[in-house]
Amino acid sequence: MPHFYLHLRNGAGYDEDPEGQELADLDAARLAAIDGVRSVLSEEMRQGQVDLTGAIEIADGDGNVLMIVHFRDAVQLKLDGRIA
Amino acid sequence: MIDRHLLKLRARDTVSADEEQAIRNALGEIRTVPADRTIIHAGEELDVSTMLLDGFMCRYKDLSDGQRQITELHVSGDFVDLHSFSLKRLDHNIMTLTPCQIALVPHEKLTRITEQFPHLTRLYWFSTNLDAAIHREWELSLGRRTAIARLASLFCEMRVRLEIVGLTDGLSYALPLTQTDLAECLGLTAIHVNRTLKELREQSVVQFKGGIVTILDWEGLTQIAEFDPAYLYLEHRRE
Repeated sequence: MPHFYLHLRNGAGYDEDPEGQELADLDAARLAAIDGVRSVLSEEMRQGQVDLTGAIEIADGDGNVLMIVHFRDAVQLKLDGRIA
Repeated sequence: MIDRHLLKLRARDTVSADEEQAIRNALGEIRTVPADRTIIHAGEELDVSTMLLDGFMCRYKDLSDGQRQITELHVSGDFVDLHSFSLKRLDHNIMTLTPCQIALVPHEKLTRITEQFPHLTRLYWFSTNLDAAIHREWELSLGRRTAIARLASLFCEMRVRLEIVGLTDGLSYALPLTQTDLAECLGLTAIHVNRTLKELREQSVVQFKGGIVTILDWEGLTQIAEFDPAYLYLEHRRE
């Protein structure tokens, strides 16, 4: 299985993924990124301050960024009765 | 071969020479197992218990979509499923996280220990109670602790447990797990673990790099975790 690196960038800085993960394909990496974003956001939600400005960069072993998953696209927000 | 197992037992109680011999006599086949192998599947009939001689293993349960929750880590010297002696099957799986050396201990040999060595039997009863205490602490983490406190708590627990079996070097120890392994212990994701490790590093409390945990500030780490080692029952008693 290919190896993907999921680096995180948001208001708190840049976190390089030092290990990477073996995932079936780029779509599996995208789902892992979304899952990771939701996990980080859920913790921020518990503490009452949510930063949606970040993104996950999905890279291959050579450092090529294959896809960017924005935090904003990992969740759907409903504000004032409509989806923001 | 069972040195670390004896260290673990002797940290809490006295083990006589006869009892030590009884443990040695109970050992069956010794096996080497590669990393990431599920060696016991939930539900299978068991007539042996497994002692971990060297390496890291875990107990886990999982959901149909592949999500896995590790419920306890095992270090060298632990019985990973002494409870299978009375349960005869497990409600969870047992997996190697690193290459491991294990000893199989036939249940019939354990039956003999219960018949001939009542004090040693009580020590083994204590061991399964200790596993239950660790599960309760993890339940507190998963249910109530923040991500940073969960990770800090795990690093504290592993330091204490590895120190007992002589596998720490001061405030440093090998924990050759991936961030995904840690995420599966803590109910997080690898990305979230990476972020949380960075927070701990930036607070100059602990570093985790290349499978080595280096504690920079034990006091600070225990405060973040609200770590109280009472649940690890470190008192030495003669029962």
